[in-house]
This record gives sequence, C-alpha cells and structure tokens, in this order.
Amino acid sequence: MENLLKKLLKLPWLTFVITIVISAGLFYLMKQNSRMETDLDKYMPQDHPAFVYSDKAEDWFDINDGIIVAIENQNGIYNSETLDTLKQLTKSLQKLDEIEKADVTSLYTADNIVGDDVGMDVKRFFKRVPKSEEKIEALQQNVKSNEMVYGRLVSKNEKVTIIVAEIKDDIFSQEFYNEILELTASFETDNIKIHVAGRPIVEGTMALLGPADMKRMVPIVLLVIALVLFVMLRSIKSTILTMAVVFFSTLWAFGAMALFNVPIYAVSTMIPVMLIAIGVADGIHLYSHLQLFLQKKPNATKKEASVDMIKNMWKPVVMTSITTAVGFVSLLTSEVYPIKYFGIFTALGVLAAMVFSLTLIPAGIMIFGLPKVKKIKKENIEQQGFAHRFAATIIKRRSISIIATALIIVASVIGLQKVWINSSFLDKFEKDSDIVLTDKFINQNFGGTTQLNLILDAGNNKNAFKKPEVLKLVNKMQNKIENDLQIVGNSFSLTDYITRMNKVMNADKEEFNVIPETNEMVAQYLLLYEMSGDPENLNKVVDYDYQKINVTFQLKSDNSKAINSTIDIIETFEDDFKKHGIVAKYAGSGYKGLVFSDLILEGQILSLILSLIIVVILLSIMFKNIKIGLIGAVPIIITALISFGTMGFLNIPLSTTTALLSSIAVGIGIDYAVHFIEQYKKNALETGNIILTAKKTMAHSGRAILFNAVVVIAGFMVLLFSVFPPNRALGALVSLNMFTSFIGTLTVMLVILYSGNLYFKKQ
Amino acid sequence: MKNFMIKTVSIALLIAISFGANAQLTGTQIIEKTYNRATGEDQTSQLTMTLTNSRGQTRVREITQFSKDFGNVEKSIMFFQSPADVKNTSFMSWSYDNNKSDDQWIYLPALKKTKRISSDSKSDYFMGSDFTYDDLGDRKIDADNHKLLKTELVNGKSCYVVKSVSKDDDYMYSKTITWIDKSTYVGVKKEFYDEDDELLKILTIKKVQKVSGFYVVTNSEMKNVQKNHKTSIVLSGVKINTNIPASKFTERMMTRGM
Repeated sequence: MENLLKKLLKLPWLTFVITIVISAGLFYLMKQNSRMETDLDKYMPQDHPAFVYSDKAEDWFDINDGIIVAIENQNGIYNSETLDTLKQLTKSLQKLDEIEKADVTSLYTADNIVGDDVGMDVKRFFKRVPKSEEKIEALQQNVKSNEMVYGRLVSKNEKVTIIVAEIKDDIFSQEFYNEILELTASFETDNIKIHVAGRPIVEGTMALLGPADMKRMVPIVLLVIALVLFVMLRSIKSTILTMAVVFFSTLWAFGAMALFNVPIYAVSTMIPVMLIAIGVADGIHLYSHLQLFLQKKPNATKKEASVDMIKNMWKPVVMTSITTAVGFVSLLTSEVYPIKYFGIFTALGVLAAMVFSLTLIPAGIMIFGLPKVKKIKKENIEQQGFAHRFAATIIKRRSISIIATALIIVASVIGLQKVWINSSFLDKFEKDSDIVLTDKFINQNFGGTTQLNLILDAGNNKNAFKKPEVLKLVNKMQNKIENDLQIVGNSFSLTDYITRMNKVMNADKEEFNVIPETNEMVAQYLLLYEMSGDPENLNKVVDYDYQKINVTFQLKSDNSKAINSTIDIIETFEDDFKKHGIVAKYAGSGYKGLVFSDLILEGQILSLILSLIIVVILLSIMFKNIKIGLIGAVPIIITALISFGTMGFLNIPLSTTTALLSSIAVGIGIDYAVHFIEQYKKNALETGNIILTAKKTMAHSGRAILFNAVVVIAGFMVLLFSVFPPNRALGALVSLNMFTSFIGTLTVMLVILYSGNLYFKKQ
Repeated sequence: MKNFMIKTVSIALLIAISFGANAQLTGTQIIEKTYNRATGEDQTSQLTMTLTNSRGQTRVREITQFSKDFGNVEKSIMFFQSPADVKNTSFMSWSYDNNKSDDQWIYLPALKKTKRISSDSKSDYFMGSDFTYDDLGDRKIDADNHKLLKTELVNGKSCYVVKSVSKDDDYMYSKTITWIDKSTYVGVKKEFYDEDDELLKILTIKKVQKVSGFYVVTNSEMKNVQKNHKTSIVLSGVKINTNIPASKFTERMMTRGM
C-alpha cells in the first residue's frame, strides 16, 4: 500500500487526469439517470405485512388522501355568492385531469336523506344555487339537521364549507399544486377566502421543500467550511485540495447511484452532509501532519514531505475510512430501502474520500508545491505549549473527566427516555407557515385533516357486519374515541349510515338514532340505502360480502402521539371483536407513516449497535488489542448518548432525518478515536514516557481534531439559518455531535488510555 | 317509474317492427319507434340481478316482479326473494305519462311499515346496480337531441347508430350512442359517455325472446368501464298479458309478500 502510494507520487498528473475523467463520466451519468423520488409510498418496504395489508385495504375501500379546499366567508356561507362559489369550484375540481369526478365531495355533491311520518326523501342539498331567502334558510336547516354533513362539510359556526378532492398517491407534483392554488385563487373575492390543505399537499410540499432547501444551503455550508479551513490550514492550496476530496467523493457517491439506477430519495440528501462532515477529516489530519513535519524540517523537499506524510498517515486514514464505511454498511440491516441505499452509497463515498485523500492530496503537493509555512512559528509554539498544558491538566485532573462523563451519561440516559418518534409531516414546517396555519384553521372548524383507517376484518365470515351486536360494538368504540380524545374530531363508518337510516325510517325521531335490533332490519336498511342513496358511498365503508368494514377517524394532528392514542383505545376493544371472529387492522397514509418511522428507528438502533460491535472488532484487529477496540468505541458511545439525550430534553422527536444522525456519531467518533490512538501509540513507542506521549499526541492529533471539529461545526451552523426546520435540527445536531466527539476523545478517552497504561507495559 | 323492467327492455331499446323501413327516418323518429313499441298490457317475471365488482365479487338478488300499463300510469311491484335477510322486502312504483313525478313505496318486513320514498335525482343508480333509473327507461325522449350518425353491421345485423345529446348541460351523460337493429328496432347495444365525454358504460343486449308475440330483452349487461363494475339482469318465466288485477299494485299487497 505504502509503496503503491509512493509510486503514484511520481505520476501526480496521471492521478488528477484519471480522477477528473472518471468524475466527468459519472457526472454525465448523473445528468442522464438521476431522478428524485417524491412518492413516499416508494420509500416503504413493499413486502412488510402492515404495508401489504394497508395497500389492499386502500384498494378495497378506495382509501385515498384528500386535498381539502375550504371556502370561508366571515358573513356566513348561506348566501348565493358563497354557494355559487362552492358549486363552481366543486365542478372545476371535478374537471381537472388529475382528479376523478366521483372523488370530489362537497355540500353540492352530497345527498340529504330525510324522513317524516309517511316516508323517506333523498335529495341533493341543492342543484341550482338557491336565490330566495326562504330557500337558503331551508338549505341551512337541512344541513343543520343532517349529522352526516353538519360539522363535516359545513363548519358548525356556518362560516366555512369544504370540498374534499381525493387523489391517488402518485398524482402530486409542484405543477399540480400550483394549478390548484391558481384555480382556488381565481374564486377569491372580498368576502370569500379560500384555503387549501390536506395530507397530499403537506407530503408533496415537504418532499419538494426539504431537498430544495438543502440545495440552497449546501453551497453556503461548503463555502463556510472552505473559509474556516483556510483560516486553520493557512493555505489556499490545502483548502482547495481538501474541498476537492469532499467534492469528488460526493460526486462519486451520487454518480454510483446513477450508475446503478438508484433514484435520489429525501434521505439521500444526507449523503453530502455525512461526506462533508467525514471527508474533510482526512485532509485536515494529512495537512496537519505535514505542517508539523515542516516545522521540524523546514528545508525538506516536497517529495520528502509527501513521503513522510504517506508513511505516517496512510494507516490511520485507511483504518478510519474502512471502519466508518463498515459502520455505514451496517445500515443494510434496515428494512427501508432508501436507508439501505443511503448506507451503501455513503460508505462508497467515504472510501472514495479515502482514496482521494491519499492520492489527490500528495499529487497536489507534487504538482502545486508545498503549502507555505508562514511565519507562524511563534504562535505554533504557543499552540503546542497550550496542547501540552491541556494534556497535562486532563491527566492530572482525570477524575473530573470521569465524573463529568458519568454525570453526562446519567443525564443522557434520562433524556433518552423522553425521546419520541414522530412521523408527522406538519411538525416539520414552521409554526407560522401557510401550510401549518391552514391546517390549524381547518382543524378548528372540522373533524381533522389527518385520517386513520381502522379495518375490521371478519375473515371469511360473510355478513358479519350485518349483525346488530357487532355494529353496536363498533358504534360504542367510535363514541368512546370521539368522547375521550380531544384530538379526534369525528369518526365515520357503516354504523353512521345504519343509525341514520333507522332514524329516517322512524320519522326522524332522535331515539332511533341507534343500531336496530335485528339482522334483517340492518340488511333491509342497507338495501334501501342502495336503492335510494349513492351505493358508491357504501363501498367506501363496507366490502361486498359484509366481511370487512372501514372505520375512518379524523384527527386534528398527524403526529405519532395522536395516532397512537387512538390506536390505544381501539386496542381495548380488540378482545370484544375477537369474540366475533373479527380482527383489527389499519390502513392509510397516516398509519403507514407511523409504521415506517418505527421501522426506521428500529433499524437505526439495530445498526447503531451492530456498527459499534463491528467497530470494536475492527479496531481490536487493527491495533491487535481488544482493549483498544473498546476504548475506541468510547467517543462513539458518548456522542450517540448525548445526541439522543439532548433530543429528549429539547423535545426534538426522532424522525427519518434525525434518526440517521447516529450514523454520523459513528463516522466521526471513529475518525477521532483512530487518529488519536494511532498517534498515541506511535509516540508511546518513540518516547516511552506516558506524560510526554499524551502531550505530543495532543499537540499532533488533538490539534487536527480541533481543526476538524471547528471546521465542520462552523459549516453546519449555517444550517441553523435554513427555512426548513428539520434541516435546522440537523445542523444543530451535527454540530453538537462534532463537539461531543471532539471533547470526548480529548478528555475521557485520553484519560482511559492513560489509566489503561497501554503500550507502557514493560515499564 | 315507467314499469321499469319492461322498460329495461325497452331502453334496452327494444324494437318495434317497422314497416316503413325504407323511409329516411330521423334520429328522433328512430328513438321514438324504439321507445314506443308495443310491450303488452302486463308482464310477470323472475328477475335475477347480479352485481360484479372490480375484484370479481358478486351480489345476487332474486326478485319477482309484476307490471301493468293502465294507460296514463304504469305500475310495477317487486318482491325480493333472496338474499334471505331481505326476503319479502317489496318495492312499488307508479309512473305517470304526464310530467308528474313517480310515486314510490318501499315495504321493509323487519320494520313492518310501508314508506313512501321520494327522490329527486333521476341519475341515481338503481339498487346499487350499474343501471340508473334513467337507463331503465325513465328518460324522456325530448330531453335529448337525437341524430342518426350512420348505419353499421353489428353481429350480422344492420343497425342504425343514433347519437343522443342531453339538452341539459348538467346531465350525467354528455351523450349516448345507441345501436338499433334496423329490421326489428331491437336495441343491440348502447354506449354512455360521462360529463367529460369519456366512455363510462356499455350496455349489451345479450338475449331477446319473443313472448306472446312481444319482444322481451331477457338478458342484458351494463358494464361500467371506468370502475370495472358490471350488472347483469336476466329475466325468466316471462308471462305477458295474464290479466294481473289492479289490486295487485297497492300498499296492502306490498305487505302480504308473494
């Protein structure tokens, strides 16, 4: 290896040409092949039982997410202007190519079933917009007395009415959203305000906003990192070459994705984040070594300097990179494909960064000459003096480090308990953003914008859901959930049709707003509804053989706590349902999101543990000492613990992005630990003096680690100015991880190394 | 509602034998001849309605039906035989020749009450089937503009092809196209186009029988091509002109069952 690298030193131009030619090829591939995946369903493991069932149920009951268009008139909606807007907008939405006509629901399309002494009447609420006051008043009364509409399509304060347009999963695009916004805006007047909300909008906007924000922020991050790098390394050449390593490794990672036809997922935007944080490290350590070498031997040639750099540094660079890469490869255990891909291609990028660090940087020195060692000797000596004093203090007062670490670990474990997973999309937006405000507005006036579908499945038991005792149980569950949970605005199922029919057929008397007593009565009401109402409506709540029903809950929040609290109550009914041979399952995008987050988290924790084990084993092998393997894991463990603990205390929920951050703890922790230990080992063997070893290591590796931490922290602090809150959390947490890794390595790991008395056994 | 099973038939565009076949008929005249053909005074039959959804699941309903033409009013009464849980549920409708809307009653044996039903939407689907009440014969001829498009061979029969466009923009069908057997004025098939002018449903007449000298469609299928649903209606035991008494079509009879 060392010889190969030394041979390459003779052909620096060739190294550059090969790198650039391959990169150009990959860049061309990216141009050709790369595509963004915005359909969130594609992110989910298609063969997971929960998703398989949900997909089937979505098909049986035509469950889709709906775009909600709210028409608001502060003077009330019961006037011909608002009603006409409602009618025209409903019809316009029905005419859009992306929307099926039958999938649009509003007061204009709904049926009003009413009863009196002699019979039953099925009417549209209105077909022609009512003009006279009597007619408008009659409409108002009809709506008020129909529970299937009042509070669902028209708000109880009668100032807002909604149109729900269901769309298929893969329909949403920026163009479509703009089309809807343009259409609705064209209906706005001085009196009428129109709001657009619903999960497809939230999901779609998020899928577009996150990566778009990253695209904007990453160049700024890189610029800041380059600037700080320059301040640290004091050389334009070194800065450019270190940045080139990051640039090329990212390009290769994405190029490889294009090569294997892997689309870019939202989590893939984390790949550059990882590579920036990890990729600069090798360069910094190499140049840091070079600088120290030149301080000792100011008259060395560039060849001598490069050879020394390679000789001393290739091992730690290879070790850190391979361990980090293996850590990322452990993400293959995840069931979620985008995360598997993230792991593989980040690992690839890390290895690419290793190759570029060991080839491009020496080649750069050969071609462009040594970085100038400016007149900073005095300052440098001061730095060295500080490093020595720092190391001495740490060792002298080692109990402080140990106690502090113990306290921090305890605190982190406490914080850890508070960490919760959130699959919410809305929580990822600014609290005062349009999308959040509109959602809040609709949730205040209606049942809720988030939908949870409960599928009650009686297997092959035909007509199970015509039995009154079963329907009563379903009704009881719905009532309990609606009453107990503030967050659940309303629920809807077959029982609502049956109680309504019972009431209507009994002269609209309220005491008949219940499930009737006999099987036949239920069957006959259902037949009657089919004959008089729209049977398509029934297909959305019950299957053809009455073996399965779909109960829809409308929630005022899409966060995991809300969905879980509903599921908790449903579970208390599971035993009762079992007695009837009925099992409860779930469907819909809200539920899938929940399962998906759990899967991601599970996978993350699993891979974190796995990668820790791998790191310990690899380090043990590399250093031929199991103790070193264990010590090397210390910064990783501390970093991960503090990271999760902080999230718990600051109430930052785990989400797809924040969960991935544990990987960065592994990547950075290894870098720091390996460089430090390798240097420590070398110094120990050279000096044979434990204090001197600690001092020298601190001045060499400690210095490089400090540079590295400062550079990356400065870079990621930029993300705090991001407009997309998850990216802000990302910036803060990456910075925090860098900081704790840095502190952990230089304090407690040094103390353990010292106490372990490694490499000094013979004395 | 106009005696609707018979109309099924007729919408289904039955026939009427035309003697002036050579004359250049207009679209409207062809449709009139098809609608106004003789169907007999009364009819009794067993009707099997099979609904099939996109997953191939079916719902089968067996109904005994009686209908009779009283000149200015057509009356029909239907008794559900199966499924068992709706047995003896009955449905009666009186459909008037003038613009008066239909009278409809339903009797639910579990409720032991007869109730009047009124419904203002004629585009409602009949019993959850793919047929609307209009499809079954309640559509007035002058609600559409009819145009003879061409003549065409279907299954070896020379057919008129008539396009009917709704006069009302809000109507659920933008247009329908009907194939009518030129020699017998029996409907062969009909296509229904939705508001966006896309093909929505296809009605196919699968079997026409001659009973007591009248043509009766005994097997027809309506397929919703957008939803991939279909409904088949098969008639058996068809009897025509058996002098059903007027007392058969009363609320009291509805409660008595078959």
